[in-house]
Amino acid sequence: MSLIVNTTINGKTVSASADGSTSLLEFLRDTLEMKGSKLCCNTGECGACTVIYNGKPINSCVTMAADANGAEIITIEGLASGDKLHPVQQAFIDTGAVQCGYCTPGYIMSVKALLDRTTKPTVEDIEEAVSGNICRCTGYNKIVDAIQLAADRISGRA
Amino acid sequence: MEYFEPRSVGDALAILAKHGAEAKVIAGGTDVMVDIKYKEEPGGLVNIKRIPGLGGIQENGGGLRIGALTTIRDLETSALVRSKLPVLWESAHQFASLQIRNTATIGGNICRASPSGETLTPLLVLEAKGKLAFITGEKIEPFTAFFHGPGKSSVGSNGLLTEIEVPYPVAGSRGVYLKHAVRGAMDIAMVGVAVLITPDASKNGLQDVRIGLGAVAPIPLRASKTESLLRGKPLTAALLKEAAATAASESSPISDQRASAEYRRWIVEALTRRGLEQTWKAATGKEVV
Repeated sequence: MSLIVNTTINGKTVSASADGSTSLLEFLRDTLEMKGSKLCCNTGECGACTVIYNGKPINSCVTMAADANGAEIITIEGLASGDKLHPVQQAFIDTGAVQCGYCTPGYIMSVKALLDRTTKPTVEDIEEAVSGNICRCTGYNKIVDAIQLAADRISGRA
Repeated sequence: MEYFEPRSVGDALAILAKHGAEAKVIAGGTDVMVDIKYKEEPGGLVNIKRIPGLGGIQENGGGLRIGALTTIRDLETSALVRSKLPVLWESAHQFASLQIRNTATIGGNICRASPSGETLTPLLVLEAKGKLAFITGEKIEPFTAFFHGPGKSSVGSNGLLTEIEVPYPVAGSRGVYLKHAVRGAMDIAMVGVAVLITPDASKNGLQDVRIGLGAVAPIPLRASKTESLLRGKPLTAALLKEAAATAASESSPISDQRASAEYRRWIVEALTRRGLEQTWKAATGKEVV
């Protein structure tokens, strides 16, 4: 282990060692035992590992753990408060936007980042926000429904 | 594996002078991290992301200076880039996913020296230059001379690209970047074509034409024969056809899992024709007849 990563994850400061070649995803899953962010393609193409890094959605599988130093990271584990789910999580459940569920944490992080930017996303905004997330079950229509429902709820329109 | 996090260009160059042969420079990491997981781990990593002053987009006389660590998303959301360098903006907009655009840097895209690198043909037609730092001093090099082969560029194993200088195109010019890929922006381009034209004062002929071809040769290249064929002439339908065929003949694509060489040549022809037609119409307000 060649470096120490001091970072903030879901509002809590964390300090742990890593190698230069350790990805942020490996750091989260293997070092910190936070298994919510999913390992899938490991090449930055499928979005299952999406986390929010200083306010922006990124693929944690192709980000160095070293770059988490001094950064603020939000993962799927940081969204619910106690038993109360985040509106994006609740909307995915209410619209049935989950099939096998493996892509869901990544989608939810991309959507949270989108709705942090705007609560009135256009269809283009939605498509851009999730174009880096693949649902292998191809349940895309319900995912778009979930995003719209979450946006409506967050902005008080539903 | 050794890990370095230099805090100045000088420190980075000193590390590269010592370890450049086995160490790799890493910035966004969207390519290098994949190599680490799927190919082989380099002997060391030199993370240049903590070097101050290598980011940012600034207007500089008749152009923009873009720091090498500027992310693709920074380019895409820059009003200056969008209004002054729309060809470059289009390539940033069609660059992989939002997640990747938030991480990948323009310097990384350039130094990766992949023939399909999204921003490269726009930089070639804009006649952009790179500021390269070596332990022996700095050097400004046009990108038309920068690429030597897949993964090979003038930075070599011990230099750093610190800044990109992009002059504004002449007033009245119009450009376009056309990408052919199966999965839209998410995919690596099978073919990318950038076209930049400047009409003459009467808008009857092409005063200047620049065409960049991506993913169809060992390096991103300018279609210089096609350019000289077109320069100084009005864009007629017959000339357009000849130019598109010439561009296809200037490419030397390979066959791989994405497309065959033959298919890529057809696409070069189609995108060159489309790019010239679109820019001619936008620049002159006239149809090609």
